[in-house]
Amino acid sequence: MPDFIRRYGTAMACVLLFAIMGLTADNFLNPYNLLSIFKHVSFLTIISLGFTLALASGELDLSFAHIASFASVCTASLLFGGYPIVVAVATGLSCGALLGVANGLIVTQLKIPSLIATLAVSTIVNGLSFLVTGGVAFVGRLDKAFLFLGRGSLFTIPVMILWMMIAVVACLYFLKQTRTGIHLVCTGEAEEPSRLAGVATRRMKVLGLGLSGLLAAITGILLTSSLSSASPTIAGEYLMTGIAAVLLGMTTIEPGKPNVIGTLIGALIIGALRNGLTLLGAQYYVQDIVLGIIIIASVSLSATRFKKVVFSAPR
Amino acid sequence: MKLRLLVLLALIMPVIAWSAEIGIIAFQMSADTHARTANAALGEAEAQGFKVTLLNSEGSVPKHAEQLDTLIQKGVDGIILAMGKTQELDAQLEAAKQKGIPVVTVMSGASPHTAFDVNVNEAAVGAQIGMHLLGMMDYQGGLMMQRYEGHGGTRMRGRILDVILEQNTGVNLVGSHTMAKTKSWREDVRAGMEALILKNRGNFEAIWTSFDGQAFVIDDLLREQGFKRGDIILTGVDGGQEAFARIRDPESLFTATVAIPFEVMGRAAVNSIASLAGGAAPEDIVAGPFLYMDAVLVDSANVPAEGQWPW
Repeated sequence: MPDFIRRYGTAMACVLLFAIMGLTADNFLNPYNLLSIFKHVSFLTIISLGFTLALASGELDLSFAHIASFASVCTASLLFGGYPIVVAVATGLSCGALLGVANGLIVTQLKIPSLIATLAVSTIVNGLSFLVTGGVAFVGRLDKAFLFLGRGSLFTIPVMILWMMIAVVACLYFLKQTRTGIHLVCTGEAEEPSRLAGVATRRMKVLGLGLSGLLAAITGILLTSSLSSASPTIAGEYLMTGIAAVLLGMTTIEPGKPNVIGTLIGALIIGALRNGLTLLGAQYYVQDIVLGIIIIASVSLSATRFKKVVFSAPR
Repeated sequence: MKLRLLVLLALIMPVIAWSAEIGIIAFQMSADTHARTANAALGEAEAQGFKVTLLNSEGSVPKHAEQLDTLIQKGVDGIILAMGKTQELDAQLEAAKQKGIPVVTVMSGASPHTAFDVNVNEAAVGAQIGMHLLGMMDYQGGLMMQRYEGHGGTRMRGRILDVILEQNTGVNLVGSHTMAKTKSWREDVRAGMEALILKNRGNFEAIWTSFDGQAFVIDDLLREQGFKRGDIILTGVDGGQEAFARIRDPESLFTATVAIPFEVMGRAAVNSIASLAGGAAPEDIVAGPFLYMDAVLVDSANVPAEGQWPW
């Protein structure tokens, strides 16, 4: 029983949260409101999945929010410049993936701890975003086909929710069903034994950080579509909430380890809390306090891996 | 104009206010001006008996959109956006309109889906402070600028000064620094202006800033470097008790500001929502997309006493 609680406690808390909010907050269980929660949680989930993969490979990525913003402004600048949607989106995705790979190469080749390397890259990328925009946001005037990517609905289900489901299933399949994914997890859990067993651990770290950059770019592009705008700080908020979602996720399903379903649950808890507290009429500072307490609680439960990644020297 | 508006609002204000609920979203409560507007709206709404949910988007557009979506799902009777992002929130504002929820914005820009935007005319604000500054300089000498391009209002003020300088060739722009859009903007202003002051010492008579917060940093910097009141003319825009205190302070070099009536705008937004929720049409309050308020140039001649306001 204690093991069941340890493994599924946070997941049960998520269900309990939905139940309590459903009973106390008017309209919380209204289907439109539930779709709204899932739609907004989609951005957080997709970007957090990238952080999950980086952490699974044993590295920290603090640049994902700025990479998302950079992909957003690159894509928007090309769309505003009259380039086809495919070109703009492909460029945005490439920027994210390349920056993620650059993070990986700096960590593995220059032997700079990922905490510092990704923070430095984050600063550079933020500067590049301002270079592209000149500080002025791209707003409106985007093609309807592009806007459909983030705003559209299929059979009344917002497409954002479908993107989130695709991302979750793809990451789950990658980590659990592919040799590369299993090698990536092994690298994060036991780097030296994995290396001795023949796993290309450096390559796995580059891959983990590269995928983090790619998923950040996907989030940035979807944000651009959903908000019909792009700015150098569009995804800034996701740094803290993304880390919080992953840490929350590390308290469940596979306790102590970054895991895909856990991240989804973590994002859902954050999204449901925000929505429910607003419906209950809680003022903004109450929401911040509650979220902060949850982060402390989740870190205290899942800190082992996080501390190991943050404070260990690169090999 | 303002008196007429207040009388009109008072006449058409409904008595349903005490049973209704308003959602107020401030884009960035850590910014003084956003907080002043939102808190004034909160106070006015509570005084009128509204139930109020006050939210802070913390400068995040996605969070801004999420909060607006949630308030729409909540079915509030009216929504106020303080310094909101109306263009980015186009889809959410359209949904609010379809649900019949009136949205009044403050300093957020016009939208076809909102009732109107309570605002000051930023071009007029820029012209007021720019012309005042050049007049104080007697239309000659060296000027330095502390710009900020990341906000529509501050950008407009800078552009207006550019136009004014084109027309007054006796004033030379000897240095200009553009503030970075970071959370440590005070440090950025300080570092940038410290370098410019060092480089141009003796060659400038005035410093123009795009908002008061920048001017406060530069005022402290100038005082540390031994400048006295009268050595340099330093201006800003926004107004507020700190700005007025510095204008009154004989040690401060801060000379003038244009006081924007954030509290008045917050209260006007609540009164407007009350009227709209009671069945008034936006056209009954103002014909166009903007409900303009008067900003007041404040200098040593008309600076209000402590705790007082110039309106």
